[in-house]
Amino acid sequence: MPKKADDVFKKLADEEFNLEQMEKETEEMLRLRYINSSNAVFARTEGGFVSLKIEDEFYPRVQVYQAFPFTDPYCYISIRKSDEKAKEIGVIKDLRKDVDEDTRQMILEQIRLRYFTPIIKKINNIKDEYGFAYFDVVTDHGACRFTIHMGGNSVVHLTDTRLLITDLDGNRFEIPDVTKLSSAELKKLDLFL
Amino acid sequence: MELLFKLPKKTQEILNLSQGEEIRYCVPYDISLDKRYGDIGYIVVTDKQLIVTEGDRIYYSSDLSRLEKIKCEPMVNSGILLIKEYDKEDESYVARFSMRHLTRVSFVAKGAERIRDKNKKPVVSREREKTCLKCGRALPGTMKCPKCDGKLVTVSKFWNLIKEYKLQLAIMMIISLSSTFFSLYLPEYQKNFVNKHLAIKSGALSDVLLFVGVMLALTVLQILIDVGKNWWFVSFGSRLSLSIRSKMYKKIQELSLSYILEKRPGELMNRVARDTGSIQRFVQECFGHMFSHMITMVGAIIIMFAMDVKMTLVSIIFLPIVFVITSIFRKSIHKRFHLQWVKSDKLNSSLQDVISGMRVVKSFGKEQAESEKFKNLNAEYAAVQSRNEVFWATLFPMVSFIMSMGIYFVIYMGGVRVLDDRMSVGALMQFQSYVWILYGPLMWMTHLPRRITEMITSMERIYDVLDEEPLIGNKPNAIKHDIQGEVEFRNVSFGYRPYEPVLQNINLKVKKGEMIGLVGASGTGKSTMINLIMRLYDVDDGELLIDGINVNDMDTGYYHSQIGVVLQENYLFAGTIYNNIKFSKPDATEEEVIRAAKMANAHDFIIKTPDGYNTYVGEHGHNLSGGERQRIAIARAILNNPRLLILDEATSSLDTESEYLIHKALERLTEGRTTFAIAHRLSTLQGADRLVVIDGHKIAEVGTHNELMEKKGIYYKLVTAQLQMQSLESASEEVKAAEVAS
Repeated sequence: MPKKADDVFKKLADEEFNLEQMEKETEEMLRLRYINSSNAVFARTEGGFVSLKIEDEFYPRVQVYQAFPFTDPYCYISIRKSDEKAKEIGVIKDLRKDVDEDTRQMILEQIRLRYFTPIIKKINNIKDEYGFAYFDVVTDHGACRFTIHMGGNSVVHLTDTRLLITDLDGNRFEIPDVTKLSSAELKKLDLFL
Repeated sequence: MELLFKLPKKTQEILNLSQGEEIRYCVPYDISLDKRYGDIGYIVVTDKQLIVTEGDRIYYSSDLSRLEKIKCEPMVNSGILLIKEYDKEDESYVARFSMRHLTRVSFVAKGAERIRDKNKKPVVSREREKTCLKCGRALPGTMKCPKCDGKLVTVSKFWNLIKEYKLQLAIMMIISLSSTFFSLYLPEYQKNFVNKHLAIKSGALSDVLLFVGVMLALTVLQILIDVGKNWWFVSFGSRLSLSIRSKMYKKIQELSLSYILEKRPGELMNRVARDTGSIQRFVQECFGHMFSHMITMVGAIIIMFAMDVKMTLVSIIFLPIVFVITSIFRKSIHKRFHLQWVKSDKLNSSLQDVISGMRVVKSFGKEQAESEKFKNLNAEYAAVQSRNEVFWATLFPMVSFIMSMGIYFVIYMGGVRVLDDRMSVGALMQFQSYVWILYGPLMWMTHLPRRITEMITSMERIYDVLDEEPLIGNKPNAIKHDIQGEVEFRNVSFGYRPYEPVLQNINLKVKKGEMIGLVGASGTGKSTMINLIMRLYDVDDGELLIDGINVNDMDTGYYHSQIGVVLQENYLFAGTIYNNIKFSKPDATEEEVIRAAKMANAHDFIIKTPDGYNTYVGEHGHNLSGGERQRIAIARAILNNPRLLILDEATSSLDTESEYLIHKALERLTEGRTTFAIAHRLSTLQGADRLVVIDGHKIAEVGTHNELMEKKGIYYKLVTAQLQMQSLESASEEVKAAEVAS
């Protein structure tokens, strides 16, 4: 049995294997294809997503990922296939420059659909009780209450003044600049600074 | 997890369900289309249709039969409910929700697809709610809310725990009562002595000696009682926690792997170690003293009131102030110590980070930068710590002083009364003693509510484990089946998480004695198939049959005793090599162990170690190489002469020569035994009778090596890619060799 298999292996190695094919795949993996208004056309779909026509390829639905969601939200927007493997189709280098206004809006809509991180505008109250803290806040998406673990990494400092808060369910809330909060609000937040 | 929420009346009315149509799932969602975050509406699945409401209107509805796809798609910190109608080209989303409802909706989406496919099996969610649906408080990882419906139940559970000791407890209560009585009686005796002898300077030396003697005797007696009581409660606490710990340990062993894996690492460990510890502390420090303290307090207050109402009131007038001060400072104390805890945590993790990443730090030459970082953290921690110590050292004496301020007023008022002859000197001294007796338990009582809450939370978390029913257990009439070796997957679907299917509709029939090689890219579900065969998880849909019998009907323990498993990452228990090999068959003889070790090509290296088979391997077998550990694991798997052999990357850490040797041995071993093998190095699977290629959650190809090579499908690609890698390697080696030669 092993012998027979060995023969097949050898035969393959000798003649059939297509090195070019492999090289091509590797190339594809390494390639960084930029998408801009000259080579791609995005369009809204009926279901609330966007489709993409690029060169001679067409994708009925694409997904939009940010490479630097915190530090550079408009640059290096990765456009990916909508299936599970989500292979990259291409990258928009700068959303503000490389595409027209209409496309920009379309892409931003998709970004807002994919990323959901309400920004805390006002802190009404923070109550802590037995290892949990209960927040009552107003965000840019409306008023809400959430609960976080006191221990662990619920509150992460992205910078000295920028906070990212993760609640028990895994929702995230952002405080872009703690220095902009009132002193009363800061006092409530004291425990996490 | 709740999947059938109660709809508000208004929403119920707008649904307009037809006669007999029943709501099967109903969950809220919380992000509106204009991105408002809050209570937006409900996703309702009846036995006929899917309805999404928004406020008081229906946003979307469709017959289930019209939907090709109903799926919960996770986004970043949110999710969408995705549908695809048969008569439309595009997918669309009909609801959007935060992480709070993501898991819930994924269950419902799956449930809806099942209803559409006329699958009667309802989806049951065993996930826990994160917050109590009633009171909104965070749940400490339990099913029930300790605040809402846990308290009474917990008290009764606590009683159940201690009730077998009730006679001893009663005796202890009586003994504590007597000690209380002594402590309350002493001041009375003292008063009599002072009034009769000291105040009027009458009596002999013998009276003084008698007084001292009685005081001493009573005090010693009281101390003895207290020591005895404490001793008993301490041992009672330890016995109690011992029994809870062993109960929990046993339960954890019985519980299914999924339950254990879905907990955060360390959580179960905490429950066994920390929560039982907190029960123990409660019993030792609170429970024993609670009653005697309370009785002492009540007794002292009654006597004091009887003696002088005004002075009693004065003596406790400062208590409210103390309470106010402590509650004002409580928050700040909490904050300070929380901060200290955070800093120490940061310090620890940075230390751990650097030490475990030492190789990287050194190889990039970043020692200096890392030292600086650590120095800063260290300084921060030290500053916080010393500030806190100073604060504590100032606050505590101050509070004690304020609390005891009452005593000065008592002495003042009492002094005036003694001078006016309204009170005897003895009575004043007696009163003063009672004030001190009162203060102790009062201070102690301030901590009680916190202690009780801690205890209840721990109890909840402990009973949450103890009350858990193992998902995979023996049915009442479980069959003890001797495995012949036929394995059949019939329409099997499975996923670890409801929104991520791993295997879909797997059909595979394996004959007795066949060797099956499982092939596919990483994360396609090969190991999952093996987990199902090992019955670490139950299939979601379909059946897994062994010799035509559903595994669920078999006796789990008996089934497992006939399976041999070698995994990629093999865990060796702390103990000797001998014991580790014997793990699968504790009554194996030395000869059997040696034979198994020889077969696994492990005998030689074991013999060469100074202690031979008695070599101790540490917690992770650290003094052995990966290949050596793997060979021991192989010996362990084959010792038991298993009917089903499972090799999950069993020889991946071995060099080619050892692998070849083991394969020769395994070839003999696998003869007549059904074997499932996973290997990335495809040449390892050359001996397989059939190869099963898994791709995209499904079986993509089945056949012998030659058949699959001819088919030129996925397997062909994998083989050629690996061959190419090998030939590239050998080519570059040849070039190197040539260079060296020239």
